[in-house]
Amino acid sequence: MFAVKQPIIVVIFVVSLATLIPRFIPYYIKGLDKLPYFAQKCMKLLPIAALGALIFPYALTDFLTTDVWFAGLLGTAAAFFFGYRHSNMIVSILASVLVTYITLGVC
Amino acid sequence: MKNREELTFNEGFVDGTPILLGYFSTAVAFGLICRNINLTLIESTLISLTSFAGSGQFLTVNLLSAGALIIELFISVMLVNARYIFMGMAINTRLSKDIKGFKRCLIAFGTTDEVFSVSTLKCNELNFPYMFGLQLSSYSGWVVGTAVGYVAGIFLPPDLQLAMGVTLYAMFACLWAGEVANGGFPILCIGIISALINSLLYCIVGLAAGWSFVISMITATIIGACIIPDEKINQESLTDNLEQPLDKTILAEEKSSCLQ
Repeated sequence: MFAVKQPIIVVIFVVSLATLIPRFIPYYIKGLDKLPYFAQKCMKLLPIAALGALIFPYALTDFLTTDVWFAGLLGTAAAFFFGYRHSNMIVSILASVLVTYITLGVC
Repeated sequence: MKNREELTFNEGFVDGTPILLGYFSTAVAFGLICRNINLTLIESTLISLTSFAGSGQFLTVNLLSAGALIIELFISVMLVNARYIFMGMAINTRLSKDIKGFKRCLIAFGTTDEVFSVSTLKCNELNFPYMFGLQLSSYSGWVVGTAVGYVAGIFLPPDLQLAMGVTLYAMFACLWAGEVANGGFPILCIGIISALINSLLYCIVGLAAGWSFVISMITATIIGACIIPDEKINQESLTDNLEQPLDKTILAEEKSSCLQ
C-alpha cells in the first residue's frame, strides 16, 4: 500500500535534528521571551492546525483502492468520538480499526 | 517560589509513571503504524530513540507514506515541534543554575509536552536528578512501547492489515477531538480549515504532500490566531496533547499541592 523511497537512516537523522533544534534553543539562547505575542500564540496553535491536514485528504485517498472509499472516514469519525469523550488513545484507535474493518467487510 | 526539600530521582521517576503508561499505549500505536508503512523494527525503534516526540513522529510516518521529500519532512517536523521552544523556556527558568554541559543537553532532549506540564507545576527548584527520573520513565515507556507495538502487529491476520491503515488517522482524530473538547468550536474550525486547504492543494492543485501540508498548517494557524480570542489559548490546551485521563489527575494533584 505504501512505499518508502528514501534512505531511512537519513530520514531518521533529519527528523531527529528537526526535533532537537527547537528543544535545545530555549536552553542555550537568551531573550526569546521578547517575541511578539502573536508569534507565541501561533506557535501554540500550530500543532492543532497540523492535525486537520494530517487526516485529510489521506484518510479518504488511502481507501480509494478498496470498494469502500468511506471506510477510513467512518473509522476516523469513530476515533474522534472516543477522543472527544477523553477515552484512552488505545481504546479510540482499536474502536476505529474495528469500525473500518467492519465497514470494509460489510460493504 | 517556595524552595522546600530537594527533589530526588525517585520522585521524578514516580511522577513520570503516569506519563510512562500514557506514552506506552501511544507508542504501541506508533509501532503498529511503522509496520504498516513497511519500516523495520530497528528503524521504528530508532525513530523513537532519537526523536522522542509524539506528534513529530506520527507526522514523519504520515508524510513518508505520502512520499514527501526530506526537506519537506524537516520543515514540517520543525514547525510542529516549535512549541517546545516555549516549554523549554518555562522549564529553563525553573532549573537549578548549576546544571550545565551534558546534563543540560539531556534535559533539553527529554523536553516533551507532558514532562513540561508535570515539572513546571512543581513548586520546588528543578534539579537534575528529578528531571532525569521524570524524563527517563517517560522515555522508556515511549521506546519500549514502540517495539511492543511493532511486534504485536506481526500477529495480525492479513485482512485486518488493510483496516489497520486507519490507525494513523485515528490517532490524529483522537488528539484533535481531545483539543476540541478542551478548546471548543474555534479549535474544531482550525482543523477543518487546514483539512480543506490540504485536500484542495494535494488533490486538485497537485502540490507535493509535504509542501501542501506546510502551507495548510501555516494558513490555518494564522487564521486561527486571528479569530480566537487571546484568553482561549492557555497552557492547558497546549500541553494536553497525549493521554488525558492519566495526566489530569496528576496535574490536579500537583496544582493543589502548589497552592497550599
